[in-house]
Amino acid sequence: MVEAADYQCDFENKWCPGCGNFGIVNAMKDALAALDLPPEKVLLVSGIGQAAKTPHFLKCNFFHGLHGRALAVATGAKIANHDIPVLVNMGDGDCYGEGGNHFLAAIRRNIDVTLLVHDNRVYGLTKGQASPTSDRGFVTRIQAEGARSDPMNPVALALSQGAGFVARGYCGSKEQLGDLIRQGLEYPGFSLIDILQVCVSFNHVNTYDWYRERVFDINGNGHQPGDLQAAMKYAHPEGGRIPTGLIYRKETVPFTQRIPRLNAGPLLGQKYDRDKVQGLIQGA
Amino acid sequence: MGIDVTVKIGGEAGQGIQTVGELLARACYQSGLYLMAVNDFESRIRGGHSFMQLRISDRPVMAPDHRVHLLIALNERTLQTHRSEIAEGGRVLFDSEAGGSDQSVLHVPVTKLAREAGGRIMANTVAAGACLAMLGAPDKALEQVLRQRFGDKKTGVLENNLKAAKSGVEAVAGVSFDWAFQWPDKAPAGKLLSGARVLALGALAAECRFAAFYPMSPATDVMVNLSGFETQLPLVVEQAEGEIAAVNMVIGASFAGVRAMTATSGGGFALMSEGLGLAGITETPIVIINSQRPGPATGLPTRTAQADLRFMLHAAQDDFPRFILAPGSLESAFETMVRAFALADKHQVPVIVATDQYFNDSLAIADKTLEVPEHVDRHIVGDADMEDPAAYKRFVFTDSGVSPRALPCNGRALVMVSGNEHQEDGHISERISDRIGQMDKRQRKFEGMQKEMRAPETVYPDSRVLLVGWGSTAGMIRESVEMLRDGGVDAGAVCFTDIWPFPETEVTEILDRCQRFYMVEQNATAQLGWLIRERTGRKFAQAVLKYDGRPFFPLEIADKVKACEEVS
Ligand SMILES: Cc1ncc(C[n+]2csc(CCOP(=O)(O)OP(=O)(O)O)c2C)c(N)n1
Ligand code: SF4
Ligand SMILES: [Mg+2]
Repeated sequence: MVEAADYQCDFENKWCPGCGNFGIVNAMKDALAALDLPPEKVLLVSGIGQAAKTPHFLKCNFFHGLHGRALAVATGAKIANHDIPVLVNMGDGDCYGEGGNHFLAAIRRNIDVTLLVHDNRVYGLTKGQASPTSDRGFVTRIQAEGARSDPMNPVALALSQGAGFVARGYCGSKEQLGDLIRQGLEYPGFSLIDILQVCVSFNHVNTYDWYRERVFDINGNGHQPGDLQAAMKYAHPEGGRIPTGLIYRKETVPFTQRIPRLNAGPLLGQKYDRDKVQGLIQGA
Repeated sequence: MGIDVTVKIGGEAGQGIQTVGELLARACYQSGLYLMAVNDFESRIRGGHSFMQLRISDRPVMAPDHRVHLLIALNERTLQTHRSEIAEGGRVLFDSEAGGSDQSVLHVPVTKLAREAGGRIMANTVAAGACLAMLGAPDKALEQVLRQRFGDKKTGVLENNLKAAKSGVEAVAGVSFDWAFQWPDKAPAGKLLSGARVLALGALAAECRFAAFYPMSPATDVMVNLSGFETQLPLVVEQAEGEIAAVNMVIGASFAGVRAMTATSGGGFALMSEGLGLAGITETPIVIINSQRPGPATGLPTRTAQADLRFMLHAAQDDFPRFILAPGSLESAFETMVRAFALADKHQVPVIVATDQYFNDSLAIADKTLEVPEHVDRHIVGDADMEDPAAYKRFVFTDSGVSPRALPCNGRALVMVSGNEHQEDGHISERISDRIGQMDKRQRKFEGMQKEMRAPETVYPDSRVLLVGWGSTAGMIRESVEMLRDGGVDAGAVCFTDIWPFPETEVTEILDRCQRFYMVEQNATAQLGWLIRERTGRKFAQAVLKYDGRPFFPLEIADKVKACEEVS
């Protein structure tokens, strides 16, 4: 039996005390333990930012790449070896800003990875600029008059693009979040979990208190994740309340199953027949 | 003198110039002749002016000729544009119903004949038939090609094409042509391939299993050719959402354990720069083909250049080891791809293979068999190779700079990789000892990499003057050297394939034997020339440069060098 403690890693943590990322990393450990997956059987891929440092703070295989590009790396790794469970950690700026196009493409491909967006609605690592999910008017040192653009709604966007697994989590609801991550990993296809994450250093609007008053669980309250219309409604928070939980889930065909050759097993393990290649080249 | 005839087919894009060219090329190839077909087209799908230049010989050719012996003008504009290029005794076959042929221009109602044979679309076949008849080819040369090409199409297609070919032949019956020649009846010499195709075949031979790309001329054809094998091999070719995605996917696939590549041109390569650095710092083996075209920005999308050398050398921030290889022939391109993947794996570095539009889009004959290597050594370790897999460190310090590479989820060893500077186990680190240690470790790889570098190929290396170039211009430079020698200039050629790490000792030795050397490059500033100066201290006398987007003709090079020689 794998336990959350097996994911314990002694590399020095570099987040601010009280950061919402701690809740996320703990929920990840719970989810991986619940699936009985040992650290050596999991791959974490991340971009750049505070969120993207996550793989360093739990024991696992990881590829910590470039700002915005984690989904592309994860896609390549998954195509090469689709037996590997892949978790992707990105920030809101990382995923929805710099990496926005890869986010759309990941949904279209339905690449079988679980994407955790640590959505703190601010650029943490670069010290507090507005992010794609910051509210209009969000004041920062550089946006002194407040952010001029409207925030994007990643959950609604994912739903509108046909994503098969869309969830909204909260860093302060560890149990629910762990469960969502577990379900995301189990889901055959692309799964998005947009995680409302508190940044104690640079986001003084969306604080623990602010969220505590607003978040509520939809799955315990009868929401059927197969209901797209209800999902769309929950995608758009209203009346000052923020729905969390598994918002939408449908059966889909994951990307690697759309490639007939991969039915024979992971690309990495397949036999490369030299004589056959020589024959093909001869006949070319 | 043997056979050396050039046919030029010109018309609008969409008129099927390439089809005529291909029919002719195949007919020559099947009769045992050598050839080279160079495509010249505009960045548009219809209209404009495009042409294909087919050089036919009984000896191997690897350069286009400036003389045109037979011009097939499918429109008036071709006639006007290229009439001046006609060699003595050459003729024009002009698609016209007007009649009134004169000494050089022969009016043949190609389109009308095609319509009579069953449809306009057959104009290509009529033109090919007429052209081959003028060249003295036996009727069966084209017939055989048509049977291969249309044999499995629905009934009527082959018959109509045979009819079209025949009417083309008949239309020029009795016409005399000084450049007609005796056609051999031999087995094909080697294999008829485009540069793009041979690059793809090389990747297959190297056990490339994953390729990601974003369409961009002139690189797309490499991927088109590769994807043709997808259903038969453990191979996945994926069109990415952009070049940044493509290179990052390739890095991810390689990290997970399969050999992976991408192909692009200048603009896409620019977008891949950050990824190139990521491969550098994470020591992930990848292969990038950069098919050059003139820039900056969009430049001339369908034309040729060798103007990214400086860029390929320096792309991405800070220093890290990389290979740059620029093959100069079909056989060399195949072998270069096999080597590129092997070098990437062995040294855990990115490898850039530099080609260009001229090379990718041209058809020629590869003489030697394209041999798949007996063994592919992946240089990958597993738990069994480690004393204690739990203590595995991906970036452990070594003398060679290369650390044992394990794969993620392939045993107990955890593989931790970061594009941030890191400590030996892969965790990020800003400690000075880690920074210096890892930087020095990566730089140490240069020593081993340098040993892999081959000297440039030389022809007449003991000559008084040497013509120096790199990549695809090898064929033109060699031919220009023969012309110079025929004209009494003691000239030789130096053609680089291995450019970086720069083979300093070898190059210095070669250059020190001549009185002076000339650079021959398809860029505006002699990029290799200055690199030679930087690495060896040796300075070129003059440079023959061409950056109009069109490939060199050997005579052009020879004339310029000769002119320089006359004043010096
Ligand atoms: C190409 C590139 N551009 C910019 C940066 C600088 N940068 C690092 S992290 C970051 C944004 C961080 O915000 P987010 O993705 O929301 O992550 P957080 O730190 O909030 O978790 C930026 C802009 C970079 N590393 N690379
Ligand atoms: S800056 Fe914000 S997101 Fe980053 S570690 Fe500190 S609290 Fe967390
Ligand atoms: Mg953020």
